[in-house]
Amino acid sequence: MTAVIETSGLTKRYRRVTALSDCTVSVPQGRISALVGSNGAGKTTLLRLLAGLAAPTAGRAVVLGGEPRQDPAYLAEIGFLAQEIPLYRRRTAQDHIGIGAHLNPRWDGESVRARLAGLKIPLDRPVGTLSGGQRAQVALALTLAKRPGLLLLDEPLAALDPLARRNFLGALAEAGAGGGLTIVLSSHLIADIERVCDHLILLAESRATLCDDVETLLAEHRVLTGPRKDTTAIARAHTIVREDTTARQTTLLVKLNGPVIDPAWVVEEANLEEIVLGYMSQDDAGYGTGPEAAPLSAVGGDR
Amino acid sequence: MTWVTWQQYRYQAALAAALFAALAVLLLLTGLHAAWVWHSALAGCAKDNSCASPVGSTLSLGSPTVAALVVMTSAVPLLPGLFWGAPTVAGELETGTNQFAWTQSITRRHWLAVRSGWLLLAAAVLAGAVSAIVTWWSGPYNALTADAFQVNRFDITDIVPVGYAIFAMALGICAGALLRRTLPALAVTLAGFGAVRALIALWLRLHYLTPVTVHYKLTAPFTPAGSYLAVSQGVIGANGNPPASGTGAVGVDGVPVPAACQQFMPKAGINLQPVLSCMTAHGYRGYLTYQPASRFWAFQGIETGIFVALAAVLLGVTFWVLRRRDA
Amino acid sequence: MIRFRVDGRSAVPPYLQIVQQVRQALRMGVLAVGDQLPSVREVVAATVVNANTVLKAYRDLEREGLVEARAGQGTFVRARPPGPPPGTHSRLGRALAVWVRQARAAGLDDEAIESLLRVTLQASAQEDIA
Repeated sequence: MTAVIETSGLTKRYRRVTALSDCTVSVPQGRISALVGSNGAGKTTLLRLLAGLAAPTAGRAVVLGGEPRQDPAYLAEIGFLAQEIPLYRRRTAQDHIGIGAHLNPRWDGESVRARLAGLKIPLDRPVGTLSGGQRAQVALALTLAKRPGLLLLDEPLAALDPLARRNFLGALAEAGAGGGLTIVLSSHLIADIERVCDHLILLAESRATLCDDVETLLAEHRVLTGPRKDTTAIARAHTIVREDTTARQTTLLVKLNGPVIDPAWVVEEANLEEIVLGYMSQDDAGYGTGPEAAPLSAVGGDR
Repeated sequence: MTWVTWQQYRYQAALAAALFAALAVLLLLTGLHAAWVWHSALAGCAKDNSCASPVGSTLSLGSPTVAALVVMTSAVPLLPGLFWGAPTVAGELETGTNQFAWTQSITRRHWLAVRSGWLLLAAAVLAGAVSAIVTWWSGPYNALTADAFQVNRFDITDIVPVGYAIFAMALGICAGALLRRTLPALAVTLAGFGAVRALIALWLRLHYLTPVTVHYKLTAPFTPAGSYLAVSQGVIGANGNPPASGTGAVGVDGVPVPAACQQFMPKAGINLQPVLSCMTAHGYRGYLTYQPASRFWAFQGIETGIFVALAAVLLGVTFWVLRRRDA
Repeated sequence: MIRFRVDGRSAVPPYLQIVQQVRQALRMGVLAVGDQLPSVREVVAATVVNANTVLKAYRDLEREGLVEARAGQGTFVRARPPGPPPGTHSRLGRALAVWVRQARAAGLDDEAIESLLRVTLQASAQEDIA
């Protein structure tokens, strides 16, 4: 499967801050990929680099076969929706359709009108007077009307109420149903987008910690529960992502490297949120141990 | 992108056209009136052959309010740069709408080129139109007072306002791109335009070409023909120095009267001939360094060229900034 | 046309929920052989799940022999899952409702009823083996 996005060591440094550090990810075509991570992890930076709105300090990105660049053909393939829904507040949705029609070679203005009519969003009112959810739908419709090959959305659900969120995700899921469109949307809440996404990228501390199909992640990770005991055997055979110990019980989030033989462990499937949180908390407490553990900063295997 | 630019600025364009129309009507009416007054006065003095002397600086060609308004049109070249130029890039960056505009299928360079191209043209056309009508209106006034080369006239007539307008627009756009916020860009455009205009109009302009210096007898002052531009003037002695400021009366036009001639100062009245004869006898002469009227068009061309060149540099910087900086 | 409902919080993965709902609809008679299932796009729009989830569910149902995909037309019901006809389900469902009313009147809450059901199922399974 061809990768629509392929980055290698992508880094973005500002004067004193490193927004993105050595980011290497890959997104296959047709995926709806969730880009998750806490605030400040580098999600917006990564999306802007892919859209060509910013230039990397180091490393490179290959998007749709080429580097992000100032080139009408490339820009026509990319749809980008920034977090603040940057539309011209005093212009109407109809005005924006006109702008899109004049600035894009492929433009399906009819789809915007149809979509907004279906949602009962007026075309002739200034966009600034619409609700947040309506504005987000207008922006999404305009971005889709470009017929891009890749859609990049920065925290599109952040300002939306639950109904607006559902409508927006529904529209996204439908748009991605064909397989010709690849979507990357960022959120700092995994629960929001779990249903719609079949691929996940986790950024923690400006680095890419996870990047895989959701199906694979779910298949590879398990939660092991058992009486408090020594975990070296497990650590040798698999990768412990996170370890929680109480006085009586040990709970492990594990990336499997084969079956778990020890019958003392109760093995359960991990859900996506547990996996993501497990990897995210890695950097705080340095819990990862095992043959494939990601390099840790300060704390070693100390418990 | 042309359509998009028009969509963005159509209301402002309509407003500018309306304001211009109002100004044009006002100047048309008062200009025709002034021309009539002037030609009547000429016809009158032709009858009794008194046209050689200045037709009477007491002749009023029209309302001083309108004349003041005309002088204020020197602000016209600044206005498009201030109100259209400064916000054009800054506004997009401030509100974040550049993230929409620059992810459509045109490059930033194309976006800027079309946008700034039309804005520069609009500024030039507006300034040119106002200048044309002001130039026509000023005809009788120039004939009366021969001040076409003076700062208050030179700057508002013929082709320099077009140069100013192009410069102001380029400055506004560039300030907006560099500062990324509209209000600071407005302030910089205003201050920058004022500073550059003042520097050039009050100092650099005097020296575009080497001025002509004429020495004359104090008793027969020399006035160049037509609308000339004075650079410096005064009194100079045989030794090449101006008279020393000594004790005693300050004399003619603030020039100190040398001690030897103090006695000839008029006790009453303004007959200065005795003093001037005395000074001439002592070797003092008057001098005038000036730019002759014949250089008017050369100077218009040079000044316009300077401002257009400045504009080109500013636009170059703007394109470079847009290309290199993150959006 | 059947309407699916996907519970994001359920322990059952979304694709399996869809499969189960199709099977249940067939048992209850809501879906009959020859009926058309909603298109993938329709399900995606209604339930807000990834298209691949729906595709997976439909593929599983196809593998079980319950549905068949006709090129260019859609997905159609091919057979019912093995078991008694829909009438039986309704009849048993009504009887169960009566029993539930009795249980509630006796003071059992939902949790007690569910655990009683589980225990009874397990016990009867043991009986079948034994």
